[in-house]
Amino acid sequence: MTELAVDVVGVTKRYGDLVAVDHLSLQVAPGEVYGVLGPNGAGKTTLLRMLFGLIRPDSGTVRVFGRTWADAGVHLLDGVAGFVESPRFYPYLTGLQNLEGLALLDGSRSRGRVAEVLEVVDLADRRHDKVGGYSYGMRQRLGVAASLLREPRLLVLDEPANGLDPGGIRDMRALVKRLAASGLTVLLSSHHMDEVEEICDNVTIMRRGTVAFHGSISDLRAMAPDPGHVLRTGDDVEAVAIAIGRHPDVDVQPDPDGGLVATGQPVRLSAYVADLVRADIPLLELTPTQTPLEALFFMLTEAEVHEEHEPVGAAR
Amino acid sequence: MTGLAAALRWETRKLRAQLRTKALLLGALIAPVAVVLVVQSQPRPPKDTLFGRFATENGYAMTLLVLGFAAQWVLPLLTAIVAGDIFASEDQHGTWKTVLTRSTSRTTLFTAKVAVAVVFGLLALVVLAASTIAASVLVVGHEPLIGLSGQAIGARAALELVSASWASTALPMVGFTCLAILFSVWSRNAAVGIAAPVVLGLVMQLVGALGGIETLRPFLLTTPFESWHGLLAAPRFTGPLLDGVVTSTGWSVVCLLAAYVILRRRDITGG
Repeated sequence: MTELAVDVVGVTKRYGDLVAVDHLSLQVAPGEVYGVLGPNGAGKTTLLRMLFGLIRPDSGTVRVFGRTWADAGVHLLDGVAGFVESPRFYPYLTGLQNLEGLALLDGSRSRGRVAEVLEVVDLADRRHDKVGGYSYGMRQRLGVAASLLREPRLLVLDEPANGLDPGGIRDMRALVKRLAASGLTVLLSSHHMDEVEEICDNVTIMRRGTVAFHGSISDLRAMAPDPGHVLRTGDDVEAVAIAIGRHPDVDVQPDPDGGLVATGQPVRLSAYVADLVRADIPLLELTPTQTPLEALFFMLTEAEVHEEHEPVGAAR
Repeated sequence: MTGLAAALRWETRKLRAQLRTKALLLGALIAPVAVVLVVQSQPRPPKDTLFGRFATENGYAMTLLVLGFAAQWVLPLLTAIVAGDIFASEDQHGTWKTVLTRSTSRTTLFTAKVAVAVVFGLLALVVLAASTIAASVLVVGHEPLIGLSGQAIGARAALELVSASWASTALPMVGFTCLAILFSVWSRNAAVGIAAPVVLGLVMQLVGALGGIETLRPFLLTTPFESWHGLLAAPRFTGPLLDGVVTSTGWSVVCLLAAYVILRRRDITGG
């Protein structure tokens, strides 16, 4: 049986009365790109902090490549790298000095890789600049470089695209995909559904410290509701009448912000829109409200407390 | 390279890269020269101060005058500027998680930081002492010194005793280093880590000056700063020096143990 890269079993962490993580279990297989998704405050960062030993769980077990903090101590992190929240560095040192210092703590293997990892994250030409002058995106990339120094088998990234501009997000995702393609196990936390969908194989969606969904991205897609669209026409009353009369599979409701919201499978929705055009109803706007996965994410993470239920998705 | 050796090198590199570290050592080198020149230029010597009466006539008296003044708050401040910041700055920069996610234990980092802070404090003391002695002897002179019992002390013996007097402040200074480390770890705030030991030192001096607290005085961390007085009396007595060793060591051990326990138990969340 292959040893799991990460095996979290029944972990709970409380801060006073607040239960940040509540009996959480998840497993990440070697070579997998795994997403932990949830809104802010769902417990993602707390989970990663426990993984790195920055905080200790009140109960449960965290195993990384079969090792626990109790039996391996800091050696649990051998072969593991990454960052929790945004990566932080010493602002009065240059990027190069920061990496050289961290390589010093890592040992001899890392020290020869400083120049190489700076190239990988496109920071070689800014290596002599003090980190205090780096942009947020550059610090994120330096964080990835600092992680790669350790030649990890498991890379843990906490919202790596957080705070980046669109270009930075694109570059960061491309970098993570490139690393994942090299066979590295990646555990990635995010609150962006599209990021996880684009990068990850499997996902755990967290809500208030618990698991709301657990399974593959394809399982998640299968559960996604029909997409909703904002529809603005020249005659909304007639548009609703056509939907009721000829397209019962498309749900058309007035939008509180004006216009209509049409929900249905893409094929049905296309037929409905074609009918509107044939009926000479001017079509002013047709835009998706949110992607199906986004809609599912909100359904799973914004459920009221009294609606809490067992996590959905495949058990692992 | 072992984990501790690597951590020591890393902490030393960081300290060397900071401007204030260089400024502190430069200050410790230059300030005594300025102080000696200012005191020497005064028309009347500070007679109410220990060795003040002879300070403008005798270089060794001048250096002991400066020592008495420095022990009040300069030495605690000198060491606290680095020791009070060395842990708190990791919180300030949010870098605890950066270093603790690299297979480096808290114990290793704690040991390295303590060692670097202590060595820096002692280095600053050596620079300050050497500069004070050199400036005093060069500017004021190196005549035989009149001791606390009125005895004459030859120039060579005076130099040895003055050096020993400065050396006697090393252990209480280490005590203040450890106190600053404790405040730095506990408060996670560099300002508290730097200011609190100095303020506490001034309070201890105030308490030590009060009457009727003879049983408490030996336990104050500021008392060992005065233990060198016995070296300049006739006959010489070293009891306060030995008491000072015990007091300083006690404060150092207690502060370091408390700081270590706090750091070990801490959840690294923000930093």
